[in-house]
Amino acid sequence: MTVVIEASGLVRHFGDIVAVDGVDLSIDEGEVFGFLGPNGAGKSTVVRMLTTLLHPTSGSARVGGCDIRTQAGDIRRMIGVALQDAAIDPLMTGSELIRLQAVLHGIPRSVIRRRGPELLERVGLTAAVDRRVGTYSGGMRRRLDLALSLVHEPQILFLDEPTTGLDPTSRQALWAEVRRLNTDLGTTVFLTTQYLEEADQLAGRVAIIDEGRLVREGTPTELKATVGAPTLRVEVDQEHVATTRDVMTGFGEERPSREGRVAIGLSEGAAQVAAVVRALDTAGVTVIHLELDAPSLDDVFAHATGRRLEGSGDEQ
Amino acid sequence: MTGSGMSGVLTAGSQTWELTRRSVVGERRQLLSVMPGLIFPLLLAAVYTKQFSRVLDMPGFPEVDSFLDFILPACIVQAVSFGATAAGSELALDIENGFLDRLLASPVARWPILLGRLAGAAVVASVKTIVILALFLLFGARVAGGPAAMLVLVVVAALLVLVIGGLAQVMAFRTGSQEAVGATFPLIFVSIFMSSAFFPTNLMTGWFKVVAENNPLSWIINPVRRLVINGWSSADAIQALGLPAALAAVTISAAVMALNRRLATP
Repeated sequence: MTVVIEASGLVRHFGDIVAVDGVDLSIDEGEVFGFLGPNGAGKSTVVRMLTTLLHPTSGSARVGGCDIRTQAGDIRRMIGVALQDAAIDPLMTGSELIRLQAVLHGIPRSVIRRRGPELLERVGLTAAVDRRVGTYSGGMRRRLDLALSLVHEPQILFLDEPTTGLDPTSRQALWAEVRRLNTDLGTTVFLTTQYLEEADQLAGRVAIIDEGRLVREGTPTELKATVGAPTLRVEVDQEHVATTRDVMTGFGEERPSREGRVAIGLSEGAAQVAAVVRALDTAGVTVIHLELDAPSLDDVFAHATGRRLEGSGDEQ
Repeated sequence: MTGSGMSGVLTAGSQTWELTRRSVVGERRQLLSVMPGLIFPLLLAAVYTKQFSRVLDMPGFPEVDSFLDFILPACIVQAVSFGATAAGSELALDIENGFLDRLLASPVARWPILLGRLAGAAVVASVKTIVILALFLLFGARVAGGPAAMLVLVVVAALLVLVIGGLAQVMAFRTGSQEAVGATFPLIFVSIFMSSAFFPTNLMTGWFKVVAENNPLSWIINPVRRLVINGWSSADAIQALGLPAALAAVTISAAVMALNRRLATP
């Protein structure tokens, strides 16, 4: 396997703020790599450095074998980039943007006349090609953004939060296209996301970033295995929280949870649930709600950082 | 970085052309926003011509048939200044909405991105100049230098957009905000009044005269005015075109440097 993206000790400061604090990466050709973290964790800053839009304060990285500082031009020819917020000039039409992007990449007109309509059809924008982008919905912009990043058939694709703010249908469609690119064309995909489900669905390997540092890295299965035991989450009245915690920690290690709830990892598996409920009953605690979760990437994140991912509650 | 030798030059050429097209199309699709920049200078010229017809008899004032001839360059410079700062704000908008990042992440040299962003406004300025010229001629102005001098006027207008737009782009990279770029407009506006645009410097006195005589805008307006009033002179044409061309090279280079600094500053 050829390593196509590698970073060592990547650091970026903005004034006094340390946005990225020593990130090491090694991504093989043909991988879909998920970069998971909450807002402000440093995901976008890493992407901006790898795509030559920002110089690192220290450390180094190579993309497609080229150094991000000294061979930026070669990298730009190789990579496709769809940054956060689908940056598109609202005064232009879809087909005009495709043509502009093609010329910027030095693609001959004859080629783009064939490839442009193909691309737009694949992302389902054929009917809207001659409309100004200002009239597009959020989902359409994202799909156009993806089409634009593919105009020059890049071997390496960077997608920065490609489905943030999209409805479930648009999200599914975009996932399908990313999978197709990866399996049919062998495109290496570097994907950032704050959605656990997205990383779980798409990525062969995931790195979790928090406050500028990588806190975990591995396949989703490996990462979930590190958390081990399933989580039992119990919701009780505020006055019973302390008692509940005392009882439950007898069955396993406490895990972070929201206010009014207590969560533990069941060290001996799901069979322990009945015993926990009996013990709570004996202690006089009325259980309002109870749920048992197999480990998720959220548990991995919580295990690593002591916090839950923002917005993850809405996801499940 | 876009290739090597001749093919690199060709690529940069077609990239600049395509980015120019983009900004021309953008201007055309918001054409109404051009109108104030055309109407205000024309109105001002009309009022001044009516009010100041008597200054033509002042000793030391250039020999002209109508104040219109005198004020033509000023009217054009003013009309140009409106669109030029707007071109800077458009870059700030590209920064804000992230479109600039898309351009920067593609294998394009930096200067076509900046030049292309201004080129639409430069084309619009040329068209405005042609409209102003036509109206002035209709109302009795005379361009002594003939069609060649008119052509110089049109090109000077386009070059001035690059000068002022380049400055606005530096501001855009420094601040990344449209509002801050918009704030450069009053500065340009005032510096037009503090030049020889509306009054000959030889009739000024005191510090105002010193400022106006050393205002680069006066150095451009004076030869343009001589082409309009006195007739064709190659030396005047070279000064009228050369100075803004050189200044444009300076301001756009400064904008490229500001862009590079923006990428690097920790």
